[in-house]
Amino acid sequence: MTTELATPGEESAATSTILTIADAGEALRSGTTTSVELTTAMLEKATALNPALGAYVEITSDLALEQAEAADAAFSAGSDAGPLQGIPLAIKDIIKVAGVPTTANSRILDPAWGGEADAPVVARLRAAGSVFIGKSTTSEFALGQPDAEKGFPVPHNPWDVTRTPAGSSSGTGVATAAGLAFGGLGTDTGGSVRGPATVNGHSGLKVTFGRVPKAGVVPLGYSLDSIGPMARSAYDCALLLQVMAGYDAADPNAADVPVPSYTAALDGSVEGVKIGLPIPYFFDHDQLDPEVRDGVLSAVQALVGLGATSTEMELAHADKAQHANALILVGEAYAYHRNNMVQRWTTYGKYTRPGLVRGMFYTAADFVQANRFRVLWCEQVAKALQTYDVLITPSAPTTAQVAADMNPSQRLRQPSYTGQWNLSGLPAICIPTGFSSEGLPLSMQIIGKPFAEATVLKIADAYQRITDHHLQVPPVDALITTAA
Amino acid sequence: MHSIEEQFEKQLDQALESNGLTPLPEDRAALLKAFTTGREQAALVFSVAEARYEEPDLIFSASLS
Amino acid sequence: MTAPDVVAPEEGALSSALTIADAQTALRDGTLTATGLLREAYATADAVDETLGIYLSRFDETAQAAAAAIDAAFAAGEDPGLLAGIPLGIKDIISTTEGETTAQSLVLDRAWGAGVGDAVVVSRLRAAGAVITGKLTTMEYATGVPDPTKPFPIPRNPWNTDYWTGGSSSGTGNGVAAGAILGGLGTDTGGSIRIPSAFCGITGLKATFGRVPKSGCVPLGYSLDNIGPMARSARDCAIMLNALAGYDASDACAVEVPTEDYLAGLDGDLSGLTIGLDRLLGKAPNRDPAVDAALDAVVDVLTGLGATVVEVELPLWQELNAATRITSRSEAFAYHAPDLRSRWGDYFSATRTGVGAAIAFTGADYVQAQRVRRVGQKAVAALFETVDLIITPTSSVAGWKIDELDSMADRFGSMHTGYWNALGNPALALPMGFSGQPRAGGLPLSLQIIGRPFTESLVLRAGDAYQRVTDWHLLTPAAADRSETAVVAS
Repeated sequence: MTTELATPGEESAATSTILTIADAGEALRSGTTTSVELTTAMLEKATALNPALGAYVEITSDLALEQAEAADAAFSAGSDAGPLQGIPLAIKDIIKVAGVPTTANSRILDPAWGGEADAPVVARLRAAGSVFIGKSTTSEFALGQPDAEKGFPVPHNPWDVTRTPAGSSSGTGVATAAGLAFGGLGTDTGGSVRGPATVNGHSGLKVTFGRVPKAGVVPLGYSLDSIGPMARSAYDCALLLQVMAGYDAADPNAADVPVPSYTAALDGSVEGVKIGLPIPYFFDHDQLDPEVRDGVLSAVQALVGLGATSTEMELAHADKAQHANALILVGEAYAYHRNNMVQRWTTYGKYTRPGLVRGMFYTAADFVQANRFRVLWCEQVAKALQTYDVLITPSAPTTAQVAADMNPSQRLRQPSYTGQWNLSGLPAICIPTGFSSEGLPLSMQIIGKPFAEATVLKIADAYQRITDHHLQVPPVDALITTAA
Repeated sequence: MHSIEEQFEKQLDQALESNGLTPLPEDRAALLKAFTTGREQAALVFSVAEARYEEPDLIFSASLS
Repeated sequence: MTAPDVVAPEEGALSSALTIADAQTALRDGTLTATGLLREAYATADAVDETLGIYLSRFDETAQAAAAAIDAAFAAGEDPGLLAGIPLGIKDIISTTEGETTAQSLVLDRAWGAGVGDAVVVSRLRAAGAVITGKLTTMEYATGVPDPTKPFPIPRNPWNTDYWTGGSSSGTGNGVAAGAILGGLGTDTGGSIRIPSAFCGITGLKATFGRVPKSGCVPLGYSLDNIGPMARSARDCAIMLNALAGYDASDACAVEVPTEDYLAGLDGDLSGLTIGLDRLLGKAPNRDPAVDAALDAVVDVLTGLGATVVEVELPLWQELNAATRITSRSEAFAYHAPDLRSRWGDYFSATRTGVGAAIAFTGADYVQAQRVRRVGQKAVAALFETVDLIITPTSSVAGWKIDELDSMADRFGSMHTGYWNALGNPALALPMGFSGQPRAGGLPLSLQIIGRPFTESLVLRAGDAYQRVTDWHLLTPAAADRSETAVVAS
């Protein structure tokens, strides 16, 4: 089925060198490429690489070409809906796109879930003229690891296909890194935007809880869920967020807070920015890979070189915050899944079942106590953020792990640096800081005050102006022949 | 197959142990009654299918103002 | 008044039912002093407390000093506040500067209350001039039933001392009924204000959740707990609510909704109001037939006052009661777990088995219970688009004998209060008749009036209007005769 497809060598020089949404936008407006040209190249590459990388559950070629033609027609007519017009994106398959089934990578979910209309965030991207390459793979219901037996594509890390691409927004992460989309949508309940961004070597922003309406998304943990932008650069994340952010009454937890101009904030300056480095747990854990830590500390030094200041500090109970987040997540998730778990146990994937059923073993009092702890954790972090503009931590304790070695119980025992910020609802971006001795991406996480996405994006963008880690492209071309 | 009552007794014993509780012998009948009623109450709230997509606030009073 | 099978109260019995409103007037026209009122209140307590189990601790010295200060202020021509000179008692799970806060438990660390001092509500009562007489009995930690093996008084119903007061605000209930206090504070997580108000024949208000700050109160179920007034009449509850209501940041659940003058609307007029009645037939394991006769009479009275009464059916009755139970027990267990592990036997039998049984519930059960609460709020809000108020019996029974309480019969299902804790609406319990004969072993029956969130004014207006043309709330048990003669003598 791949015999008629172009190989990347046949791509036009114009499309193959364009890596970011910002560059693509320039090329579209200068006339050096068209949306149809960009879209066609990405559809071909996505189709050719999907057997090896498992980025997409469904490649929506007809829809994408239709949107691309409309974008080109709009450009021709002098109509410009903004920086996303004509830009190919991936949409995690747990988010409703009108006319396309939503699977959540599960045989449980009715593919008609979500009804006829776009999720509000998808409608916003659509109205901004963007192009939907396809529905990207997710862990089943945004939880756990892929179960190949269930018949969905299994995502692989484009830097080393034996490694995990992390989850649950795996497909958007893989597609962004491998050039099968310029970016797209992920969701993040405990790190599901940031994990894939970390191990696939690009940028991913978990927004403040309520910043982006999450209606039209199959819920995981409703008090923690967020939809966030994933793209190569922080600047691209800002372009995406500009369209995604803002109140919508369809999400009962959407925040009616004004949306600032994110790109206007990205001025390259970090002069006077106060960075807190929470040392215990985040920097001194015995399971933290020294290469990861050194990558973060080097990046912080680079920011200090640009005029920021960094101070070592501590946040008590960071490990408990991670556990509290996990406990609340499975409590809320099990409440959603309980009736199906009782009636259709084996229809769930083999890794999803033990993950979800943990919700049955926590008592209600455990859940109440986790939420009480949550209040104390939020107070502590809020207090720290009176002193510091942002906190910086490693994004994850290790680089991408070998997929065959992973199991859910091992993951439970590892430290994790992302769930703490779902628990507190704060914005957090993960961006590349280089590569390990094995050639795998390294990453740092920048955490900001509530609704201060502009601040974390600005710092990330300032770092990316003096580095090019985020622009490195994994060696995926060789996979096309092996896949075919 | 054990009777429902025996299943609840077993569940109660497991739950007491995992929660670190050591009741007095005289409490057993009342605990079993309350535990059994509790499982029935839990089943009752899950019978409200339309509640599946509700997002209650952490601070309940927010829904009243 | 048409109340079948009930003897109208005698003139003398009525006069003994001194209300807060009566005392306000008497203190200002000089026929009563705060010192005299307090002395007689304590004298009543001296006479009946051993039998009834009203107080856990009394604050005679500080109360006498407070009363003297009020009298001095009156003498100096000042008006020292809405509740000036009114002797009020505090349920002993709410902290006060004086004495210990025990939650009627061997378990509660006495340092907790010492660290709190006055709870916000107590400060507000004092600021309004109230004389705080002492701490009143409760069920342990505001839950369960008495445990005779524990060293605490067993509260008895002054109408028939073989019977329980209901709980958990037991001492406030029987203290007001017996005339040992003119009013007091209770707390209500599933009915703990309304049930003792019902069984003891007084009036008690659970305001909208978040209306009265609950900081400084030992928590039971934090998303269900309310502090509220208990007194003889709806008007007295309105007077107290004027002092109690309003936001305070120390309670994370307090709501910033403007307060009202809850007395301003008490005009006795119910014309134009539509009131939905759910008799809750078939909802309780036991039903006292006197409840239905009393409800018929209530409908006649309300109709006579200009209201239109229509029958309604409350949605999700069993499911919302289950949600309250799951939530209350789970939140309580989160608080009590460490002590239940280490001091199981120090808890009352009903507390440890009731709260301990929360291990039956998973986190997901709790989440689903909260979701059901939200569905219920929407369904009841829709019902309130067709009616202004809802009435139900507060309870389908008039109470239980104390020596029957250790049975495992389903008491919860006979009391109709917990539904409204799941939802948060304001609910007033007030006397509507008797099961049996007053002062002949019979027990009071109670009506519950519920409004939309934050419509305490309307709920109280309806209760007050009903009480303007009925006198069930002014009936007193024999125990109160002591205060009748005493107050007159002062």
